[in-house]
Amino acid sequence: MAQPLLKIENLRTYFYAHSKQAFVRSVDGVSLEVGQRETVGVVGESGSGKSITAMSVMGLISGGPGVIGGSIHYASDKVQKNLLEGLENYVQLEEGNGRVLTVKKDESGWQKASEKLMAGMRGKEIAMIFQNPRASLNPYITVGEQITEAVRLHSGISAVKEARERAIHWLERVKIDSPRLRYNSYPSGMSGGMCQRAMIAMALSSEPSLLIADEPTTGLDATIQSKIVDLLQELKNETGISTLLISHDISVITRLSDRVAVLYGGAVVEYGPASQLLDAQAGFKHPYTAALLASVPNQQKIRARANLQAIEGEVPDTINTPPGCRFYARCNQITPEIRDKCAAIHPELKDVAPGHQVRCWRFIN
Amino acid sequence: MKSIPLRILAITLLKELGLASLLLLGVSFVVFVILYAAPGDPFSVLLEGQLPSEQALAGIRAAMGAQQSWYGQYFSWLHNVLGGNFGTSLHSGLPVAGELVKVSLNTLYLTLGSMLVTLCIAVPIALYSSMRGHAVAISWPLTMLGYVFSALPVFWLGYIAIYVSVHGFDFFPLSSSGASDGNGWLYTLVPVLVLGLGSGTISEVIRYLREEMSRVMAEDYIRTERAKGASVWRHAFKEGLLLPVSEIIAAKIPFILGGAVIVEQIFNWPGMGRMAWQAAQDRDFPVIMGIALVAAIFVRVGSLIQRIVYTAVNPQGARD
Repeated sequence: MAQPLLKIENLRTYFYAHSKQAFVRSVDGVSLEVGQRETVGVVGESGSGKSITAMSVMGLISGGPGVIGGSIHYASDKVQKNLLEGLENYVQLEEGNGRVLTVKKDESGWQKASEKLMAGMRGKEIAMIFQNPRASLNPYITVGEQITEAVRLHSGISAVKEARERAIHWLERVKIDSPRLRYNSYPSGMSGGMCQRAMIAMALSSEPSLLIADEPTTGLDATIQSKIVDLLQELKNETGISTLLISHDISVITRLSDRVAVLYGGAVVEYGPASQLLDAQAGFKHPYTAALLASVPNQQKIRARANLQAIEGEVPDTINTPPGCRFYARCNQITPEIRDKCAAIHPELKDVAPGHQVRCWRFIN
Repeated sequence: MKSIPLRILAITLLKELGLASLLLLGVSFVVFVILYAAPGDPFSVLLEGQLPSEQALAGIRAAMGAQQSWYGQYFSWLHNVLGGNFGTSLHSGLPVAGELVKVSLNTLYLTLGSMLVTLCIAVPIALYSSMRGHAVAISWPLTMLGYVFSALPVFWLGYIAIYVSVHGFDFFPLSSSGASDGNGWLYTLVPVLVLGLGSGTISEVIRYLREEMSRVMAEDYIRTERAKGASVWRHAFKEGLLLPVSEIIAAKIPFILGGAVIVEQIFNWPGMGRMAWQAAQDRDFPVIMGIALVAAIFVRVGSLIQRIVYTAVNPQGARD
């Protein structure tokens, strides 16, 4: 298999909770890969670390201590590098009992080195779109000018006129009606769906290799959501761009992803081909994934007037992570044989089928 | 590349001018009523030290038109003002209009100069500490310095400035603004600096600008620009700096005019504040009315500028 475009290994991003000794372990050992021309979906509840993972890749974490370890290998046709290369020199960790106790980080040194590594990456190699598109566009500048700016920054087109034409071309490609007119619109004058289309146009205008879509449909009407998903699907087929798709909406993930990673409590609990992982009937499933799938309404359930199933319990507190499996408190598939292990030891990711890994004691013997 | 929406600007301008004229009318009326109701008689001040006969007093009143009812006096004043005639000073006998132009230009220089001093000090401190956050050790002392300067009362700072410039070193020739040697203009810098530093605005401006800038830096669209690899500063400039600064200018003009009264007294500066002070003591009605009107115009122009900047920056917002 060819080298993956993006390979995140053991990424850890922490934030200070109420003191410098307590951490919110937002991302605690996430590893995942995005292959060339592949869409990888990342699902999980709020607070599972999806967005923080994406922001860590972009080097846009603000607030301490932020990213404290791991590696992010990026390999496109043009650029091959580790986006965290050498940054471990700025961090000193003191660990005990398998968990980080104190972090000493040279923030400004890290920041400077990270900016150097990210130069020419943001917007050019890796582009990003966000949830709540209207707030994500600058309200004081017309949409067209914002796209033109991206074109001029990254496409080697410096002539304003040419860049403008390119921007209009992209507005057309994301199917905005009368793009020439819309070029001069301000974000407040456009609907949320149109703003998201403009965001997509802006992200793709520099022809990046990787698109990070952070909850691209959240905050949009259901019909608009579906159209945005269609558009992403179409653009993916046309341009062959790789996508890291972050969403808590299983239906969006189902429609777009080739592979899926399920995040829980800052770690990947299941990682595998979308067809296997999202098929509720298939075996080898992490209890959390099973519960997630069971909570999605579908035709059968609606016809049977079944109550929607919620996952019992709360999203785990990542400040006081329990020593065992992070899903232990909410799990409904614990058997007496494995109960002790579940409570005491954090399980490893384990292959259950080719390319399909699950982090659960039920599959480790 | 950028088209400033001229049509919307023109509409805003007309609206604001209409509002301003109503406001000025109101201000002049209120000031007039207060003056009329206040105790004391301008004519007895005028004839102080003499023992005028009742007849003489009545004669002066008749000559000044003070025998009309109070609203009659107001309307005749208004009528004259609309014709460009602000009357003559009861005290000096000079036409008020010409004097007003002279003193208001002097005060304008003082006000704008001190505003510039305030901004030149406050903006860099505010930007520095908002961009770098609390991570930078120096931002805290800088902010404290702003607070210390704001706590210095103008009347005290003014005398200290005079003392230092006269006795400490000879840099600022304080003798007179009409000094014939080339650096006479340096004289004008001292009151500008004193008003800019001491009028209590610096700390407020620092705090306000820093908070605005930090708020804007946390906006979603700034995150987008960072992810896009664009200059954050370019995108944060409008909402984070331009708008707050124009708001500060509009909001602080009244305070600075108040401070100018004191500074003009201390430095014997031939401006509106000193003239108002003098006129109030003399019960010089036409001068007080004229100055009140000009001060109101100053304040109004400040908010007009703010509206214009806001409209130019954010035509969408202005339309809503």
